[in-house]
Amino acid sequence: MQPTSSMKEEFLKKWQMGLQIYRPLIDNTSVSERRKAIKLSADVAMASLRKGTTCWSRALIQKTATEDNFLVRQMLSGIKAETLINKKLPKVMCHRKIVRRSKMILRRRQSRSAIEEVAAKARKLIKKKTQGLRNVVPGGEFMSNDVLLIQETLDYIVSLQTQVNVMRSIVDAAEAGSER
Amino acid sequence: MDLTGAFGARSAAVGACREPPGLESLHLGGGDGGFTALLELPPTQAVELLHFTDPSPSSSQAAVAGVGLDVSPPPPPLHAYGALTFPSNAALMERAARFSVMANEQQNGNVSGETTTTSSVPSNSDRVKTEPGETDSSQRLENNRCGIGKRKELDKKVKGSTKKKSKSSEENEKLPYVHVRARRGQATDSHSLAERARREKINARMKLLQELVPGCDKIQGTALVLDEIINHVQSLQRQVEMLSMRLAAVNPRVDFNLDTLLASENGSLMDGSFNGTAMQLAWPHQVTETEQSFHHRQLQLQQPPQPQQWPYDGLIQPAWGREDDQGHGNEHNSLMAVSENLMVGSASLHPNQVKMEL
Repeated sequence: MQPTSSMKEEFLKKWQMGLQIYRPLIDNTSVSERRKAIKLSADVAMASLRKGTTCWSRALIQKTATEDNFLVRQMLSGIKAETLINKKLPKVMCHRKIVRRSKMILRRRQSRSAIEEVAAKARKLIKKKTQGLRNVVPGGEFMSNDVLLIQETLDYIVSLQTQVNVMRSIVDAAEAGSER
Repeated sequence: MDLTGAFGARSAAVGACREPPGLESLHLGGGDGGFTALLELPPTQAVELLHFTDPSPSSSQAAVAGVGLDVSPPPPPLHAYGALTFPSNAALMERAARFSVMANEQQNGNVSGETTTTSSVPSNSDRVKTEPGETDSSQRLENNRCGIGKRKELDKKVKGSTKKKSKSSEENEKLPYVHVRARRGQATDSHSLAERARREKINARMKLLQELVPGCDKIQGTALVLDEIINHVQSLQRQVEMLSMRLAAVNPRVDFNLDTLLASENGSLMDGSFNGTAMQLAWPHQVTETEQSFHHRQLQLQQPPQPQQWPYDGLIQPAWGREDDQGHGNEHNSLMAVSENLMVGSASLHPNQVKMEL
């Protein structure tokens, strides 16, 4: 699955909309402020493409809402903004350490054949990796099952690629234009 | 988590997935050419899954979540489905953006194909006892007519005793039910069936992820693939940071340029082909008044055209110039040109791709 140009176009439009909100600030602020503005508006644009259907997009919008509520409200058309910003995140994070310890206690008496140990180690390794994936994908903590996690990762990767492609072409154009 | 088990089976399944053992009638799309088409099909449905929470009808590797032992479906529906999947295969262009549309198409297509032929089959699936885990998936699949029927091949050879054996499975039919065939030497209780269904789902999606992330195809094993995926996501995120930093470092006038360009955009962009837009290579030295003074500055800063050296500049400036020349009458074309530059995003625009404006 590759980013399509209609996706890119939509992203670009929304990103522009976000940047316009920041326009009064742009001249007078430092580079880091500008960078933050650019990144935030790009993130919200990317997340709004999915219109709240995916978990990561909701989590991303909520994350940026904590930093810049106003921007998020403006960028999403008012209808969705309220619901997306205000609704609680779906699940409580399960405290994996606690769960793991309780499982270990229950599991004390299990037999330890060689095969089982290897399988158990493999399982542990994979659990670590999926936990790593949850850390990276926004909202990953709230995805209860692996199937959902992988679906979300798929969608997130595609959106990230769209974002990167569009931003890179704009940056290249801007730099080429300003080098004169 | 079931990924371990899922991937134990996977590597062995990769080799076997291309041959249709057993039920040849399940082989969709007419042979090997269909395989890659089937592979390309999944992303559509995979993203559909975000809406439907159905297992994806992904590659031929995906096996079926079980409703118990089942008989092979009659051949006619398969051909119908073969024909039905082709339209969706052909519409691979706008997958990510159009999956909802695709869902509708497939629903419509599937309904027409399915109602006649599978009326008898759902009765089978209804009859079989299902566990709660299975019930969910099968109910959902029956309710959503876009359900995927995945099938596992009945492997008549002795494949060993463990459950984590390769599943050579065929794929991609859209059936309103899901049924598996238990393999020889495998447990057939509902729990393991549910587990197997789940593993198959995870396998299917991991396969999609592998295709998406470059360089993941060769890797065997879940853990390494997951590592690659994590690295890829992190690198993409870092790239976004870098790009936003670079953009911030550039003169902030650039934002205004793009803003005005896109503010007046009203047409839809074309798909990256330059055929429809003729871009002007000659510099428009005359600059009509525009509302934005920066346009003037940008144009006056231009050097004589050097399209070979500055492909972006050479292509963008004339578009801006043209916009100025024609007021905003042809903004559509110019914006399409600009946006195509931006959208195509390739720095390797050759001068000979740019046509002279007529």
